[in-house]
Amino acid sequence: MPSYQLTVNGRVRPVDAEADTPLLWILRDTLGLTGTKFGCGQGVCGSCTVHLDGQAVKSCQRSLKEAAGHAVITVEGLSKDGSHPVQKAWIAEDVAQCGYCQPGMIMTAAALLKRNAHPTDGDIEEAFADHVCRCGTYPRIRKAVKRAAGSVK
Amino acid sequence: MTSRRDFLKVSGAAGAGLVLGLHLEAKPRPGAAAKAEFRPNAYLTVKPDGTVRITVPKTEMGQGVRTALPLAVAEEMDLDWSKIEVVNAQPGPEFKGMQTGGSTSVSSTWTPLRKAGATAREMLKAAAAAQWKVGADQCRTEKGFVVGPGGKKLGFGDLAEAAAKLPVPKDPALKKPADYHLLGKRTPRFDGPAIVTGKAIFGLDVRRPGQRFAAVLRCEVPGGQPKTWDDTRAKAVRGVKAVLKVPTGLAVIADNTWAAFKGREALALTTTWDEGPAKDFNSGALEEKMRAALTGPADEARREGDVDKALAAAAKVLEAEYAFPYQAHATVEPMNTVVQMQAEGAEMWTGSQSPNRAQERAAAALGLKPEQMKVNVALIGGGFGRRLGTDFSTEAAQVAKAAGGGPVQVVWDREDDFRHDLYQPATLHRMRAGLDTSGAISAWAHRIAGPAVLRSWMEGQKSPAQASVEANGALDIPYALPALRVDFAEVEAPPPLGWWRGIEIVPNVFARECFLDEVAHAQGKDPLQLRLDLMGDRGVVKFGREEADIRRLKKVLQVAAEKAGWGRKLPVGHGLGLACHAYDGRTYAAEVAEVSVEKGQLRIHKVTCAVDCGFAVNPAGLEAQVEGGIAFGLSALFSQITWEKGRTVQTGFHDFPVLRLADMPAIETHVVPSSEAPSGMGEPPVPLAIPAVLNAVFAAAGKRIRRLPLGLDSFK
Repeated sequence: MPSYQLTVNGRVRPVDAEADTPLLWILRDTLGLTGTKFGCGQGVCGSCTVHLDGQAVKSCQRSLKEAAGHAVITVEGLSKDGSHPVQKAWIAEDVAQCGYCQPGMIMTAAALLKRNAHPTDGDIEEAFADHVCRCGTYPRIRKAVKRAAGSVK
Repeated sequence: MTSRRDFLKVSGAAGAGLVLGLHLEAKPRPGAAAKAEFRPNAYLTVKPDGTVRITVPKTEMGQGVRTALPLAVAEEMDLDWSKIEVVNAQPGPEFKGMQTGGSTSVSSTWTPLRKAGATAREMLKAAAAAQWKVGADQCRTEKGFVVGPGGKKLGFGDLAEAAAKLPVPKDPALKKPADYHLLGKRTPRFDGPAIVTGKAIFGLDVRRPGQRFAAVLRCEVPGGQPKTWDDTRAKAVRGVKAVLKVPTGLAVIADNTWAAFKGREALALTTTWDEGPAKDFNSGALEEKMRAALTGPADEARREGDVDKALAAAAKVLEAEYAFPYQAHATVEPMNTVVQMQAEGAEMWTGSQSPNRAQERAAAALGLKPEQMKVNVALIGGGFGRRLGTDFSTEAAQVAKAAGGGPVQVVWDREDDFRHDLYQPATLHRMRAGLDTSGAISAWAHRIAGPAVLRSWMEGQKSPAQASVEANGALDIPYALPALRVDFAEVEAPPPLGWWRGIEIVPNVFARECFLDEVAHAQGKDPLQLRLDLMGDRGVVKFGREEADIRRLKKVLQVAAEKAGWGRKLPVGHGLGLACHAYDGRTYAAEVAEVSVEKGQLRIHKVTCAVDCGFAVNPAGLEAQVEGGIAFGLSALFSQITWEKGRTVQTGFHDFPVLRLADMPAIETHVVPSSEAPSGMGEPPVPLAIPAVLNAVFAAAGKRIRRLPLGLDSFK
């Protein structure tokens, strides 16, 4: 049985599963971290976005084997208490409607602001090109990203 | 007009549970300890620590009911908003016929929830007054406390036990709006903190001890069945526990979702199908039938005057065909349900918009009584009407029963979700308008041809109200027209149908408002002025059983036009378009879109929306619904479901485009203040987005678009 060491939210977790299992399902079913959502499994809705070594990636498109040995951060690990600047901006702008896609949106926003403290509208549009919010929270996502600009360390 | 709302009610909905919930009896919880909770009615419980648990009888799917509904209770009780808990009601004796649809969540609970809060408030005041030996009229409530003479205070929690022993007042006075400190103010979403930290539990996030996961291999053609299969390869997938025949196909049971998916993939390779009677269905053939039905017999939904005579006598007749395709709901959270079989029944966790219906049907499928199926309502990752259906919850019950033992979560993937939706059907619209010698409209005829959503909801039966439900948005045309006929020619087709955000109003108002724009241009008249003239000084107008106050519609149209700068000089290539509608005669909305068409590229710059939905319970939530409703409507400019060989051509977000961040226009919302009772906001903004944009496209580029979705060649 293949065994992997996965570092999730700062903790090393031994995982026994098939090498090709998408990281998404390891997080949700094996580790019980259900904040990372399943939306399409095709890499086009962004609901499953997590950080892999600080980069926003679609966890449905990364296998366990690829993720092992790298630092994975999920929405549960973004902050201890919802105090990450992006989470705070999301609350301040009252972004969420159903909320299902929002963890993925937040992970993308956090990664974007870390590498680009003051993104332009074009930068924001590009970063969220692979995200779907069927409730249509986009205007508030844009505002929340701008609100958090400059505050992600 | 009989509305869909009536059908949601007739088939076991909105009103009933609330009536029961209103049996305002003090019910101490059995076995409660000395420090008792105070539960004056089904909607709220005051706990000894002062926390108040509010039970919401509507399903949260992003429309904000877990914020807006508790606000009504909290306002009347003067609660400390930071000390409330919100739980979802469970179907049962206290909550019968729960249904979340038809944009009725606030309007149908507004009075009962305020009464529930006022009742508790009066009883808590009475309990404090007794303790202080003063009159209750010397006490008032404030942020979770009763305040008495001299400023002495007692917390609700400390009064809970005493209050629970008091008689329940029959008709407690409700607050006056001028005294509101929560209602009518902007309140952020209650679940916001849980959502942004990943703690919010949606149906798909439910995890029970010993839970297994299942994927069902269904025939790609709805209604088809597996004929032969070999489960050897599926069972060889690590984690797969069993392959079982269930009524909807073959269930692969596994110890994680991925194994279930992989097992199903392997199983599919060896399965042969009886694709059933729908196997040759295709969109092209359906469209030919619909076109034939545009001139054949039809069921009349509304008639005023003699349309045929007026058309024959007209100086000029305008005629156009409008086409709207099948649409999918495309919720981001795919369908799912957990069911756990128990010795004496079963328990279910599901994101359902119809929890009682889900309970009844799943119980029936397992040979249980409804009360033997306990249903827990989870948060919904997008509903839009899809989860009014019970197909997925009943299927999960059947899978859990077949699997035996502990809990099973049935998970649909994205392709399942597109292939087995309950769709909004395609329709064709034949629009005709007669103009007299002065250019005025002398006749209006709107023929709708297509499958009937209501028939699917009525399990294949044709309702006497079918024509009026399918013509919603067409028959309640708000304009004064001398002769008018709206009718519906049903064209039956195999795909299962369901209610989709905005329902038939979306295609019907698209055809109506775009064709009216054509008439305006044919008359050489300003489209805004034509609408205002046709509304004239009309007051309350009846459409069968429904009615609408045209003055309120006229007002929102004027506001939207003024705020959008109707008539102003625009940049080259830009245009403004507008549309308005009185949704079920309850919510009045108008939208003005600004677009540009340059080098064959459409850009939607801005949509200005004005609404009158009665008293705005939570303006923050209202604005979110306008933004979301417009996004949902605009998506339908670009998306469609088509059928080939009985199955959908589209299988995911890659070929069913939905609006993305870069496509989203600026939205400006203007609320026309109203002291009327609140109505609903979930759907009313949806149907206006398409005609406002397409009328703007005509203004910008002189191109009249009558067929959706927009294609690459739409602007050539």
